[in-house]
Amino acid sequence: MTLCGTCRNINAISDARCSRCYSKIQPRNEQSLQQSWALLITAAILLIPANIYPITMLTNQGKVTYDTIFTGIVHLVHSDMIPIAIIVFTASILVPWLKIAGLAIYLTAISFNLPISKKKLMVGFHIIEWIGRWSMLDLFVIALTVAVVNMGQLLDAKPAPAATAFALVILLTQLAAKVLDTRLLWDRLEKNNDTN
Amino acid sequence: MPKSLDQDTIILCRSCDLAVQRRALPSNVRALCPRCHTALYDVPYCSVNGMLALCIAAILFYIPANFLPVLEIHFLGSIRATTVYESAVAVWVQGYWIVAVAVIAAAVIAPGLLILSILLQIIIVKRRLHSDFWQQTYRRLLKNHGLLSQLSMLEIYVISFLVAAFNLSDFSDIYLGMGTFCFGMLFLVILFLQREYNLEHMWRMVHEE
Repeated sequence: MTLCGTCRNINAISDARCSRCYSKIQPRNEQSLQQSWALLITAAILLIPANIYPITMLTNQGKVTYDTIFTGIVHLVHSDMIPIAIIVFTASILVPWLKIAGLAIYLTAISFNLPISKKKLMVGFHIIEWIGRWSMLDLFVIALTVAVVNMGQLLDAKPAPAATAFALVILLTQLAAKVLDTRLLWDRLEKNNDTN
Repeated sequence: MPKSLDQDTIILCRSCDLAVQRRALPSNVRALCPRCHTALYDVPYCSVNGMLALCIAAILFYIPANFLPVLEIHFLGSIRATTVYESAVAVWVQGYWIVAVAVIAAAVIAPGLLILSILLQIIIVKRRLHSDFWQQTYRRLLKNHGLLSQLSMLEIYVISFLVAAFNLSDFSDIYLGMGTFCFGMLFLVILFLQREYNLEHMWRMVHEE
């Protein structure tokens, strides 16, 4: 027996198509590991420009300031908006970094059969899957700010190059988590016969 | 609906492929995989009529939420307002179209399609449309449901109103518009709709000949 990857109906392994949703049956998606690695590495590379380059450009009375993700948060702290700063920090720095590190650990554990508790890995994976969306916060804020603040030389906000990189980081990490067939981790477990 | 015996009693965990025996569960209890703790199933609590009501409410809020101003800025006597849709366009105009696509997909298109998809599914189930065409459509909608619900990020958008408002309060007076209220309500309605909706349950309503 095996599960249909699309609708989770149980089918015989010998079936070609799922009896309920008619999609192709694939007992395991062995390529998913490689695809996931590719997406993750691209995301990790893009994470560097996303953090180094400015993400917004603000013109205030003729004076132009560029903000990276990090300096934006520092500004928030200086203007005594600590709770907001914590939200933004979590969404746009902590979550992407943790997600990439977490997925990297997860994928290495599968690729090289690392002796890490599979249960802990799985808990981590579920957290990564769930929390990843929150990084979108920064992009929404940028879009709203850009739309509402456009008064020429007096006060003007524009996105800057890091915005695109950051958007791609979110997109690629989400895809990397979605593409991966987590059953691969448990298959290796059975082969190695370790019990954690 | 014809079904073999083992399909009803045995399920496979989708994350680790462990075979688990299905047992009756009390309501509000979720079965977790004993090996990897992935949620396996719970008592489907979806009432088709309740979902229909929530769907209609969501559609009513959807339009004003997207086309009424959500954020208003009063700066030196001039008033600027923006809607969800315009905010994405503004970013696009600046040349950051990837950001614009991400924003519009997550905040406008995906939630809209999600509501329509559920509405269509409910209509197919309620009206017992068993012809091939409708059953094909039903299957297609169910297959894409996971993608749509993952793409819609209303809750994050709601938080970002607040963040943007606080961010800008340094420079000028900020007002939240009627659109914000509708968007907040849309978020709540969809939250409840997704609580009520159960994909596994909907799959079981596929009419098999």
